[in-house]
Amino acid sequence: MNLALIGINHRTAVLDVREKLWFSDTELPGALAQLKNQFFTECFIVSTCNRTELYGIADVQKNPGSADTMVKSAGESLVNLKSASHTVLPHHLYRLFGCKAAGHLFKVASGIDSMVIGDIQILNQIKSHYNLATAEHTVGVFLNRLVQTALRVGKRARTETSISEGAVSVSYAAVELASKIFSNLSEKRALLVGAGETGELASKNLVGRGIASFSIANRTRARAEELVKDLGGTVIDFDQVETALRDIDVLITSVSSPQYILSPDQLRRVMKARSNAPLLVIDIGVPRNVHPDVNKLENVFLHDVDSLSRIVDQNLERRKSAITSVNAIILEELIGMRQWFESLQVSPTISDLREFFESVRSDEVRKHINRFSEQDRELVDLVTKRIVNKLLHLPTTNLKNGNGESAEERHKKIHIIRGLFGLHKNEPIENRLDEDTIP
Amino acid sequence: MKTTILLFNDLLPVLYWVTVWSYAKAFFRNSALAKKVKTPFLSVTIACHFLYLTLRTLEFGHPPITNIYEILSVLAFTTALAYLAIEYITKVKSTGYFVLIISFFFQLLSTVLIKELANVNPILRSNLLGFHVTSALLGYSAFAISAVYGFLYIMLYHHIKSNRFGVIYDNLPNLEKLEQMATVSVITGFLLLTVAIIVGVVWLPRAFEHYSYFDPKLVGTIVIWLMYGVGLLAKRSIGWQGRKIMVLSIVGFVVTMLSLTVVNVFLSGFHNFY
Repeated sequence: MNLALIGINHRTAVLDVREKLWFSDTELPGALAQLKNQFFTECFIVSTCNRTELYGIADVQKNPGSADTMVKSAGESLVNLKSASHTVLPHHLYRLFGCKAAGHLFKVASGIDSMVIGDIQILNQIKSHYNLATAEHTVGVFLNRLVQTALRVGKRARTETSISEGAVSVSYAAVELASKIFSNLSEKRALLVGAGETGELASKNLVGRGIASFSIANRTRARAEELVKDLGGTVIDFDQVETALRDIDVLITSVSSPQYILSPDQLRRVMKARSNAPLLVIDIGVPRNVHPDVNKLENVFLHDVDSLSRIVDQNLERRKSAITSVNAIILEELIGMRQWFESLQVSPTISDLREFFESVRSDEVRKHINRFSEQDRELVDLVTKRIVNKLLHLPTTNLKNGNGESAEERHKKIHIIRGLFGLHKNEPIENRLDEDTIP
Repeated sequence: MKTTILLFNDLLPVLYWVTVWSYAKAFFRNSALAKKVKTPFLSVTIACHFLYLTLRTLEFGHPPITNIYEILSVLAFTTALAYLAIEYITKVKSTGYFVLIISFFFQLLSTVLIKELANVNPILRSNLLGFHVTSALLGYSAFAISAVYGFLYIMLYHHIKSNRFGVIYDNLPNLEKLEQMATVSVITGFLLLTVAIIVGVVWLPRAFEHYSYFDPKLVGTIVIWLMYGVGLLAKRSIGWQGRKIMVLSIVGFVVTMLSLTVVNVFLSGFHNFY
């Protein structure tokens, strides 16, 4: 496979460096066209906040030298396209070839190379960047197959393993908790008291899950009104909170206050007024907004940032333990892809072989044709052609159909034939490597 | 046929064990394979059990309700069948281990201790009795299931309260759903028990010359009926929610089981047939 990968990700470079090499959707078409022109027969780029990776099928005719040199130059071009050669240095970039490059893309698609394991977004990002490259006509047979397989790997990883299961952020953990207590969030009501990123995110998630109604309270009414514009819902006066609690199922507090804003006695009254219907209280405040003894009340579930973090840690552990299964899927698909590629190798090898035999035949015939009479010249041509065809018949059939051999054995055969007859024209890049790097 | 019956009798606990084991593997180890095979295993087990009960009825000329061990087998069957229905209706498939382990124990007891009575009271061959007993047993199965869900509710409640987020938290359905399932089971059981009592009371004077409304079994059943009735009423009107009701469903089932076994063994009245 002439597949090459040059890239930068969160493991090799910090954000300051990575963002210099980020390509927007408007910049990509130009970049793709230029890189394809210089180095590749096919190429496509994935560029997100955590990585920029260029995948390409090397054009051997344009770059007859060492594969590594070619890929290094491609990397330099990539960096120069963004005029980032002062910030993005060679050691920030990694290069991979052939199966390793393919395997890397599969790892990325399945979410195990992301900053947060099991990240779902990356699959959509790969898809959209692939569509972009397709529209620019920089994608051909190989990359098509590669990306389709990568998307399948991503889908399989998500459906067959627990790599993307469970909340891995505090705000999502809050929603997960709500759905462990309540059956139907679309029949429940939530109240956010205060403001702050985590609280707002959790509220946004609840609204996203279709919570029936949502209200916001803040000591400064204006701030509450501001938030309502962003999140939707209604505003409640801060001193109305205790009364409002009687009709609320999920309470999120995110107030910066040195004292507790809710006491056990208050909650006891509230619970009595709502016939003890379950109440989830998520206290994001540091220091805490709700007195811990509130948790002792029947049907009140009080959770703070610590317990939400515990949920997140547990889920991360579970995702990590799914990595082995994901790797098994990746290996399976890599083998499939290799077999497909091997099957493609057969035709060029056969044609290269025929070409070689034909060149020898026509050479010799040309040299000695003058020894034959005019009538015999056609016959000589015919007979020599027949000899060549007969000689090639068995090897050709053998290569095409095989005798129930494995892909590995066929690969060896092709390699041997190419070596024996010196057929290097269409030889894959892997046979010309002098080094490869792993990030 | 007798050998087939004996074969099935020995086979059933094994089938239940395999089913319980696959549900356990699916719940506690998240095994993908176990998740695929557990419901098919259950269906096969239930089919075999049904066959067994039918064969017994044909061979011995009466439905398998003449002694406590036959009844235990029927209870195991009805509980498993009720659970299969629950899976189908609610699409919640994760709680099987907790319900089916009861079926397993009931059937195991039945298999080990079962004996055939030489003289079966002719009354026990009646069809109406069969209906009465079936209704009662289905009712008890429903109570058993409600107790299981009550137990699961309390377990999840405590896990969430004390910040334990392990397998239980991950794999059980949410609290509201558990409460709902327990409640539906209680209501179903209550209705079935009502039917059984009515059939029993209506039929009573015809079957026995010396009947007494103070027979221990009758009294026990009325007590159970009242208990569940009051519980349901409390839920409706006073708004008892969550843990209180769930504890009640467990207590109710324990009392029911005691009535079935202890009362039968130690106290006698006309309702005693063995």
